Amino acid sequence: MNYFLHLGIYACIYSIVAMSLNLAVGYCGLLTLAHAGYFAIGAYTYALVSVKLGWGFLPAVGLGMAIASVASLAVSMSAWRFKGDFFVMLSLAVQSLLFSLFYNWFKADADFGTWANLTNGPFGIAGIPKPNIFGLQFQTIGSIALLAAVLAIACGVICWLLVSSPWGRLLKAMRDDELVARGLGKNTRFVKMQVMAIACAMAALAGSIYAGYVSYIDPSAATLDESILFVCMILVGGVGNFKGPLVGAVLLIALPEVLRFVAIPDAIAANVRLGIYGLCLVAIAHFRQQGIAGEYRIE
Amino acid sequence: MLQILANGIITGGIIAVMALAFTVVYLPTRIFYIALGGVYAIVPFLAWTGLQWGWAWYVAVAFALVIGVMLSLGCELLNHAWLEEKNASSGTHLVSSLGIYIIVVQAIAIIWGNETKVLRQGVDGVFNLAGVTLTQAQVGGAAIALLTIGSFYLWLQSTKLGLEFRALADNKNELALRGFSIQKLRLVAFGIAGLLSSIAALLVSWDVGFDPQGGLAALLLAVVASIIGGSQSFFGAVLGGILLGILRSQVVWFLSAQWSEAASFAILALFLVLRPQGLLGQKLRLESES
Repeated sequence: MNYFLHLGIYACIYSIVAMSLNLAVGYCGLLTLAHAGYFAIGAYTYALVSVKLGWGFLPAVGLGMAIASVASLAVSMSAWRFKGDFFVMLSLAVQSLLFSLFYNWFKADADFGTWANLTNGPFGIAGIPKPNIFGLQFQTIGSIALLAAVLAIACGVICWLLVSSPWGRLLKAMRDDELVARGLGKNTRFVKMQVMAIACAMAALAGSIYAGYVSYIDPSAATLDESILFVCMILVGGVGNFKGPLVGAVLLIALPEVLRFVAIPDAIAANVRLGIYGLCLVAIAHFRQQGIAGEYRIE
Repeated sequence: MLQILANGIITGGIIAVMALAFTVVYLPTRIFYIALGGVYAIVPFLAWTGLQWGWAWYVAVAFALVIGVMLSLGCELLNHAWLEEKNASSGTHLVSSLGIYIIVVQAIAIIWGNETKVLRQGVDGVFNLAGVTLTQAQVGGAAIALLTIGSFYLWLQSTKLGLEFRALADNKNELALRGFSIQKLRLVAFGIAGLLSSIAALLVSWDVGFDPQGGLAALLLAVVASIIGGSQSFFGAVLGGILLGILRSQVVWFLSAQWSEAASFAILALFLVLRPQGLLGQKLRLESES
């Protein structure tokens, strides 16, 4: 039972990330590779304020989301002028800067969480408390799963309301022809800022749940490989509609579990899983460019 | 000071070879060729295996280069040529290339394991030139990089194939209308890219060692170099590579090695905002930008 709850929590976390990334990639056509950085911003913020200052879950998550949405300006302002390969490169630059911050804001002789050593560098932060809302402790795995499910459903509802509103139609219009959208008097720069702020804040929320559940965070959560995994997930599942990213997230969770039944040695199981993801990407590029359940083809 | 500059120019030369490899494909075909990182990653392992089998070093190197070129040709024949036939978007090319890169890297990790390996045995010889200390691997690497870049430009500027190649990069449709085979020239592009990236990979792994994950970082560095230099010409890549090498060695010296990635990308961001066409590029009209 615990095993299924564990999978459920991961499915919720990845669903939130996939839905947020879908807003940027599927509805704006901005293929960002910086998402793991924002995921880690949420995780580190939650870890630091809950360990050092004893904040509860909600204010800590709120702070993480606020920081992530301010930091999202780095991505959205590059989207003002660039798209396609150049935008991908700029988002990569943001990703690399964020990772360097998490990895290098470190001093061996200082206590972590101080100004000299904020993130504890490569050693990461251990002993992060479990979520705690107004004195209500989420200690057991079942209660954390419940919390993650509630948050994931809330994010799903918000995404659904956003993309089916006039604002969501504006996003699609901007993706398909930005010049026309601007010609109609829409402020596309401001819209890009809004979208990226929402998407990055949701990624930070997922990161906070992750940190609260695993109780440990280190810079490996912010690597480029993680970002690529996120992007793989939604490209395989499909973007541009509501169900595509969810399919991708479930597939990401289900794949290693299926591999468990095939007799693959543990030592190479992770490599085989990633290799299958690569294979999926190639197959999708050739046979179904909108992904398994998606609508939009990446340009 | 001179020492840092010399180190920078030498690493820059090797980055330049890799940047050239990326540009050779990107300029004529507009394919963001991530799988080149896979070629870069697998070649040292092949050479290492050859050495383990007791081959002479030149046989092992030749073997690795041939497989590297064949892998790159395979990417074009089995993947990009098909996609091009279907008129796929550049994003689709990028995604499929990323997929191939992931497959290659995971295959390497499954076959050879994840550890860092080195090609060279024992300690390197050291040269002293006017107060600058250089290892044998550095001097050899610089010489080979220079030779590679030089012969590439000689080929590009003075042979008939080189002329056709420049025409392909300039205007592909016009060239096709005049009866030249685009498919053949694209194969040439991918072959050269494979060869150049294999050489760069062997030079780096001779000097500092290699692991399965290093390909993407090297490729991204090459892309940054080619954007800085100006991605419209074959010369820009070399200029950008050497500049980037010098910059990175300064950062390593004055800050720390961990910041060098961030510094390269910060420079990239600066260039994209202030001078998106790169050092050697000209500003294009909006409709001819891609």
